[in-house]
Amino acid sequence: MNHFGRFLARRIVAAVILIFMVMTLNFFVIHLAPGDPATIMTGIEQPSQEVVQALKAKYGLDQPIFVQYIKYISNLFRGDLGYSYVYDQSSWSLIRERIFPTLILTITGSVLAFIIGVYLAIFVSFLKAKFGDTVVSVISYILYATPSFWLGLIMILIFSSKLSWFPTSGMFNLRETYTGFAKIADFIHHLTLPLLTLMLIQMPVFYRVTRASILQNFKEDYVTTLTAVGISRERLFRKYIVKNAIIPPLTIFGITLGFAITGSALIEIVFAWPGMGRLMLDAIFRRDYQLILAIYFLMAIFISIAMILTDIVTAIVDPRISLT
Amino acid sequence: MKKCFAFLLVVVLSVVLLAGGTPKKGGTFIIAHWGDPISFNPDAKVDDAGSGIYGCIFSKLITLDADYNVIPDLAESWEVSEDGLTYTFHLRKGVKWHDGYPFTSADVAWTLNQIRTHKEAPAWKNLVDVENIETPDEYTVVIKLSRPYAPFLGFLAWYGTWIMPQHLYDITENGSPVDWLSNPHNQNPVGTGPFKFVEWVKGDHVTVEKNPDYFLGEPYVDKIVFKILPDENTALQAFLNGEVDYDGNVSNAQISILKRIPGVVVKMKPAPSRYYIAFNIGGRESPFHDKKVRFAVAYALNRKEIFDKAIKYGEVAEGFYTPAIPWAYNPNAKMPEYNPQLAEKLLDEAGYPRQADGYRFEAVLVYFQGQEWRDMATVIKEQLDKVGIKVKLEEYEIAAYIEKVLKAKDFDITELDGFQGPDPDNLKLRVGSDGDINVMGYSNEEVDTLLQKAGELSDIKERAEYYFKVQEILSQDLPMYVIGEVASRNVHKDYVKGLPYELTGVVGYNNYAKVWLDK
Repeated sequence: MNHFGRFLARRIVAAVILIFMVMTLNFFVIHLAPGDPATIMTGIEQPSQEVVQALKAKYGLDQPIFVQYIKYISNLFRGDLGYSYVYDQSSWSLIRERIFPTLILTITGSVLAFIIGVYLAIFVSFLKAKFGDTVVSVISYILYATPSFWLGLIMILIFSSKLSWFPTSGMFNLRETYTGFAKIADFIHHLTLPLLTLMLIQMPVFYRVTRASILQNFKEDYVTTLTAVGISRERLFRKYIVKNAIIPPLTIFGITLGFAITGSALIEIVFAWPGMGRLMLDAIFRRDYQLILAIYFLMAIFISIAMILTDIVTAIVDPRISLT
Repeated sequence: MKKCFAFLLVVVLSVVLLAGGTPKKGGTFIIAHWGDPISFNPDAKVDDAGSGIYGCIFSKLITLDADYNVIPDLAESWEVSEDGLTYTFHLRKGVKWHDGYPFTSADVAWTLNQIRTHKEAPAWKNLVDVENIETPDEYTVVIKLSRPYAPFLGFLAWYGTWIMPQHLYDITENGSPVDWLSNPHNQNPVGTGPFKFVEWVKGDHVTVEKNPDYFLGEPYVDKIVFKILPDENTALQAFLNGEVDYDGNVSNAQISILKRIPGVVVKMKPAPSRYYIAFNIGGRESPFHDKKVRFAVAYALNRKEIFDKAIKYGEVAEGFYTPAIPWAYNPNAKMPEYNPQLAEKLLDEAGYPRQADGYRFEAVLVYFQGQEWRDMATVIKEQLDKVGIKVKLEEYEIAAYIEKVLKAKDFDITELDGFQGPDPDNLKLRVGSDGDINVMGYSNEEVDTLLQKAGELSDIKERAEYYFKVQEILSQDLPMYVIGEVASRNVHKDYVKGLPYELTGVVGYNNYAKVWLDK
């Protein structure tokens, strides 16, 4: 096995152990939360103890927690993500329908936020534009402190209600029955506002980290040396500073992507975007243990993959970081 | 025959007049709906989001209209035997399931038996007195009860009693019966209702199309789309921007905005649900075990102010049962009127004098998340502070709330609301000694006996006397203090006509068969 193969195998084993530990911890933490699915399913209006007991027996919730845990883990090893008590379906069948809307929104949003955030930081730093730097920094601070839920509503008020440029919510115009390209165009039309909101929320992080990283690089000895030997500013920037400064935002990008499955839950609620985030919040409120655990499991896998990929990309960008 | 024709003519004319003009056919009616159903098995579990949609796809034996009257649905008429034990239902002839299969009495018997044998079914408890169900012919259903139970019809018409297709559910796989919770038709329902199921894009929308063979006549609109909009602000904007025609996710705070907008109809109706505070009487140690302290709180509270600041829409409550079901409402059993001086006197008498810090004791007010609950709690805290009761507010999400209040009884005061219909027999749940929603832990033998007897009588006047007496006792014991009557809200564009709230006596409360779009 070559160097890279060994690295990958080690990381995958570590990730599997980590995921197992995370799931064990999740299992017990979730069961510690007050309230149980059977009581919530019967609701405040019908909380008959007979019904609650019947539901607990039906779904095995009356078993000792350790027995439930063994059953959960053995099912997981067999590739069974569990059964949703609330929806009476396999957790995977519920997740499957929600994964595409979430991934298209969050991955596109994160990639755009990364590109624009990093580009803005480099552009402003390169130009040494004090005024531009101040303006972008102030905006980025404001956006960083803005709750996504609130920003989403403001976007709706401006672009949907005032200007009528974009629809308020959903994925498609339900009064029309578009097909083919028109349907894709309708989808993009609906995607724009949630995407823009997510991008504006994430962009400040990439902007600020890149900016700080560039400023840090300017203080490094190699910059002083290279400047002294007369290297052009453009060459210095492109060949050395940007390459070094890109590592921290790249790491953050990896983490952001890892959380992509559920990170946009509030934006999904505001724009009624039918994604995983909403499914997760709903599962938490209803204490749908198996569904919550299934979503967390996918999240853990996604984060692990994203982190491994980040390590690989980082090593490619900066050969000083070895794959060990 | 003549009489029958005249009656039909009157019904048709009233429908046309009430709905405002001659109905037009066609169009898509879009409703902003707050949440996804959990499935399309309408009887299996408590599913408030689903129940708003089921009325389009399924029918019941009998149903409730928007004024909580029992009206015909699949049964066009029924009789109750003298002894109150036998209910005979005569079904409509020629009704078909959406897949073309004929509907018969066997479907009714099968459905009700499924509910009786599944404890997780929300209507299970309402059918415990059913001894057996017979089907002497395809169009007759005879239900025998083990004891006379007058509220039976109301509960049969209310929740979780939709008639399901036996031919699609009573099936086996590998020799074993398929559990009704995992039947594939729970995702692809087949009913006898005014609309046929088309698609359910989870988290996004549910679409149904008109059933031309519907027994009350072909619906006017071609399609209904329930657009899932969990956030009330987004729902409002979607409604104002013309993306939806009916806003089914309106908050109290939005009502005043909506009332000012031309082309928008805001219709409020009294609903049998009320905001009240419940005292801890039978749970852990609490000053509210003492009746004097409960009365002191009632005298210290100004419910008009609480209502105006926190609830805003509906009515200030006066009595101990909902006036939305007028025959059972006792107007003479009233809440104590605001009198803070008397409150202070009672607290002194109860042995809670003001301490050096000015307070008499501290009480924990527990409530669950929601703006009106928070506002109510804040005003109550402020008002009780004035008579020397220091209130500590504790807000919980609903699951934790159920655990703390309903299970552990770990509170002094809590805030609640909830449906109190379709029959006053529901009072048993809230004030009966073993009532499932008796959070107070209130127990009064006389109340239990009166409620029990009232349920066994069939004469409405006699029943009312018992309920009036119960309310009198409640006004003396004061296990709860009622603040406001909830109003049900219908918010839609003015071109939407024939909604269920306009057609009481004709269609069920969530049946959109007569909706039409005047545009």
